[in-house]
Amino acid sequence: MKTLSAWRERLIDFFFPAESDTWLAVLRIGLGLQVVLYALSLRDDWNYLLAGTGHGLISRNLGEAILSLESHLIPRLGWFVALGTQVDLREETVLSVAWICLLASGCGLLMGLASRFAAILAWFLHLCAAKSGGFVSYGMDNFMTIGLFYLMLSPLPDRYSLDWRLRKSQATDPQPRSHRGSRSRSELLGFWRRVLQLHLCLIYFFSGLTKCLGSGWWDGSNMWRALIRPPFNIINPEILAGCKYLFPVVGVFICVLEIGYPFFVWNNKTRKTWLMCICAMHVGIGLTMGMYLFALIMIILNVAAFGAGLIRTEHARISLRPQEVIS
Amino acid sequence: MVLGKKGVYLAGLALHLFLIITVSSRDSFWLLSKSRTIFPESSKNSWQRAEQIASTALGQRLSASNPARQILTGYSHLSGIEAGYGFFAPNIPNSYKLVFELRFPDGRVEYELPRVSNAASVLRVAGLLDQIGRTRSEAFRQTMVKMLADAVWREHADATMIRAIFGSVILPSAAEFAHGKRESYEFLYAYDFNVSEKSTEQSTP
Repeated sequence: MKTLSAWRERLIDFFFPAESDTWLAVLRIGLGLQVVLYALSLRDDWNYLLAGTGHGLISRNLGEAILSLESHLIPRLGWFVALGTQVDLREETVLSVAWICLLASGCGLLMGLASRFAAILAWFLHLCAAKSGGFVSYGMDNFMTIGLFYLMLSPLPDRYSLDWRLRKSQATDPQPRSHRGSRSRSELLGFWRRVLQLHLCLIYFFSGLTKCLGSGWWDGSNMWRALIRPPFNIINPEILAGCKYLFPVVGVFICVLEIGYPFFVWNNKTRKTWLMCICAMHVGIGLTMGMYLFALIMIILNVAAFGAGLIRTEHARISLRPQEVIS
Repeated sequence: MVLGKKGVYLAGLALHLFLIITVSSRDSFWLLSKSRTIFPESSKNSWQRAEQIASTALGQRLSASNPARQILTGYSHLSGIEAGYGFFAPNIPNSYKLVFELRFPDGRVEYELPRVSNAASVLRVAGLLDQIGRTRSEAFRQTMVKMLADAVWREHADATMIRAIFGSVILPSAAEFAHGKRESYEFLYAYDFNVSEKSTEQSTP
């Protein structure tokens, strides 16, 4: 009985550690930047990629019809277009308004203004765009959805946001937050950070596992193919061919890095090294394959999940002052 | 936070993690059953069975209108966990290319590619071409190519015929590249779209 109770306590301690909101600030600012860059990268093609039949590259209506077969609960831009039709708004106008709202929500997240509302709006609009344009979506959209989903459920606002500062300056009778309330918030912060951490561990484990099963990652041929495959072929193959002896080493290194992530990122001694290597890998993917937004979202998720603590530890070491867990 | 509330959070997390693991396993099993891996060919049936079990656990074998399936699928999409993480794994396939041959009344012939305005959109179109190339459904492929041809047609309204040529880009290995071999194209499908007949003719190699 005692053992069971001890186990339960350990479980609770693991899933609800008292946590500061630094990681949440990193996630909010990072995702704000990601949403802004995502919206800007699509500004010229937004309507073209997401238009209905007869106006764009491919029909949004077909993608949405397939979505309906999967589940009627999946958000889509067609809902807004249908609403717009009720008030005589053209499809183009509705899509443009959706793009502006997405950009505004990204700016809101960056500044921490109406953080919760901005997070929900960014998640919903991005999800609508990613699902309606499912034929032209890729992995980066999935990771944005994951990040925004956790962000909107986490206890916003964080202390670095404008919301926090405004709330503080407007409080005429500043009552100190009760100890219980503060503890509850910090535990919730810890819980959502754990969820993000565990999710990242699963992502890298499965990604590494499937890579390990293909022979091409062991002999380096997949590295070569990844770098010369259109449209990722931004480096001259002549230059790449000169480095061909490095490919098997890098291929194995990536497999080890990914599959080892859930085992080494939790250990205090190896966390920093692993995290830096993973971030370096994503920087490499971004620079050598032109997948800048994909690289950015992965770095944001990693730094928020496992990096914020490292920064705090460094800060604590330098300042030599006890750090408050909660503000 | 009170213990009961923590229990609710933990139960939700358990379900969430179960879905992530099951979806990732299902997609990994699918890759193993379809791709060339370090496992023997004879193991493919086992991977297929494992994939079916994972799909059952996700409610994918229930009827499409079943509320449980609708909710599970809906939640997976809302949280971004509907797909696994086997990026560029286990092996990297060839990419695809789509070229439009436009014929004009004066006998002129022009060539066009699906056009977008920046590199970020090019990545998206490449993903779309991969889907068209990988699908086993001829109807789906034809519909998608026709929509892409329509987009080109809007830019060149005076064209009388568009031939869409869909091919695979064959990549050389590093050793082959060193010996002078470069990427080549393998013809897969061609579709003719005629403005007067509004019909589609298909030819395959």
